[in-house]
Amino acid sequence: MKGPIASGATLLVLMFIFLKFVLPLVTAPLPASLIYLYLALTLSGIMIFGTMSASSLENLMGPIFRFLSGKGQSGVGQMARLAVLVLFPLLVGWQTYTRLAPSDLPPAENRTIHPAPPGEFVGLANPYQNNEANVNMGKGLYAAYCSPCHGANYDGKGTAAPGFNPPPANFSDPGTIAQLQESYLFWRIKKGGVGLPVEGMPWKSAMPRWEVELPDEFIWKIIMGEYDGAHQSPRTWEEED
Amino acid sequence: MLNRLRFLSMIIWVGVFGILGLSIGFASDPPPADEVGTSVSVRMYQVEGTLPVDDPNSSQWASIPGSEFKLAPQVHWPERIQEVTVKSVKVKGLHNGEEGAILVEYEDPTEDPQDAAAIEFMVGDQKAHFAHGQPMLQVEGGPVNIWFWKKENGKALDMSAKGFKTLTTQEKQDVKATGAWEGGSWKVVFSRALKTEDDKDVQIEPGEWRSVAFAFWDGAVVDGIVKEKGSQKAVSSWWSIRAEPSADNSIFGWVILGLALAAGFEFVVVRKLRKGQSA
Repeated sequence: MKGPIASGATLLVLMFIFLKFVLPLVTAPLPASLIYLYLALTLSGIMIFGTMSASSLENLMGPIFRFLSGKGQSGVGQMARLAVLVLFPLLVGWQTYTRLAPSDLPPAENRTIHPAPPGEFVGLANPYQNNEANVNMGKGLYAAYCSPCHGANYDGKGTAAPGFNPPPANFSDPGTIAQLQESYLFWRIKKGGVGLPVEGMPWKSAMPRWEVELPDEFIWKIIMGEYDGAHQSPRTWEEED
Repeated sequence: MLNRLRFLSMIIWVGVFGILGLSIGFASDPPPADEVGTSVSVRMYQVEGTLPVDDPNSSQWASIPGSEFKLAPQVHWPERIQEVTVKSVKVKGLHNGEEGAILVEYEDPTEDPQDAAAIEFMVGDQKAHFAHGQPMLQVEGGPVNIWFWKKENGKALDMSAKGFKTLTTQEKQDVKATGAWEGGSWKVVFSRALKTEDDKDVQIEPGEWRSVAFAFWDGAVVDGIVKEKGSQKAVSSWWSIRAEPSADNSIFGWVILGLALAAGFEFVVVRKLRKGQSA
């Protein structure tokens, strides 16, 4: 089968294969809704191209119109037309049902994992020198206060960790503290789960509000110990310039 | 004529593509697999007649599926605890339109007078922190309603809290609880009318989601000291709970309407095409 319908269909299939299977080889997989959007755009392109002139329109839609109108059809063509005409309302009915049927899934949570800190915690520098004595003190404090949940290996796998939801942060993962500035960690350690803004709902974080129990000095040194122990570096503005 | 054909062809393409796309679930990703436990919510199944509120071992409980949630030691505020006895809890729910019952089942090797279990709910529309609804620093959080059962009391307490050290027993006690220990595991049934007159209580409306959390204490005495008490307990953070709504037959009316509209659409398109072709 030749003609604009076949080439249009081929283009759509190729586009789908590209978006779904080829693109994830070089980047993160696309969400299904985005793939659908790109395919809809591709289809719009095909439609615009196919409806530019009377003859291209006839080439694109003629066979479809003749198929749907059913004139002069017999045998397989007739059966196929009947199948399409019966299946289409059934699909609409099924779609209506699945949209309206009560779902057993609870409402989705749109928890922001790293919400913006309050202004007073933006751009603070660690006032303590990054030397061996301070790092070691930080690691000692970390072992005492943080490691039960965040793990002796800074991997979020402390002895108390398994039951938490959300799980304790894994500092050795390049997606956690390596993406954050020291002042951000200072905020999260100092204020804990109750310091979260409204974007952090539904407020499940069991992170203690350490300002009640530890002086700022301890918190800054713990941050040093965390980065050193997890073999990560804090994000800095200089790097981004 | 050309414009009409163009318009008709657009409608056919867009309609078919849209409906097919949605129908095969193209436009929505499946919900992400839960990372921590296996469940995210508790379903309170609707039944007729009385609920097995006094019998944790009733066959009615055995006949419905449950949910399971992992528990963690309470480390959020002092006095902390770093290892707890109860590692996970199975939860089942029933309601009959008037009354609701929740069964919690968990392993605890010994039966002790100080053993205790609690279910916590957010109250009203305001979100609350899972740790006793303690005040949030940036946003105002709401209160929580806690149903607490202790072996030695043999009954439930209906309580409220909004922050640490604010836990109070309500004036109006609406909750009942019964516990049964056997072979290293506790089964405790909590029950209450779905709705109460008390604005400090969670109001359970069938079909609507509520937030729920759990806590358990192993009251075993080790070296003369109760192992887990007060803030030293096993806890979960928020999960969801819903009393099943009554079957809604109006859905089928909408499905028939959808079918009829689609068939009508086909009829009009085919008729127009036939007219166009014979012209």
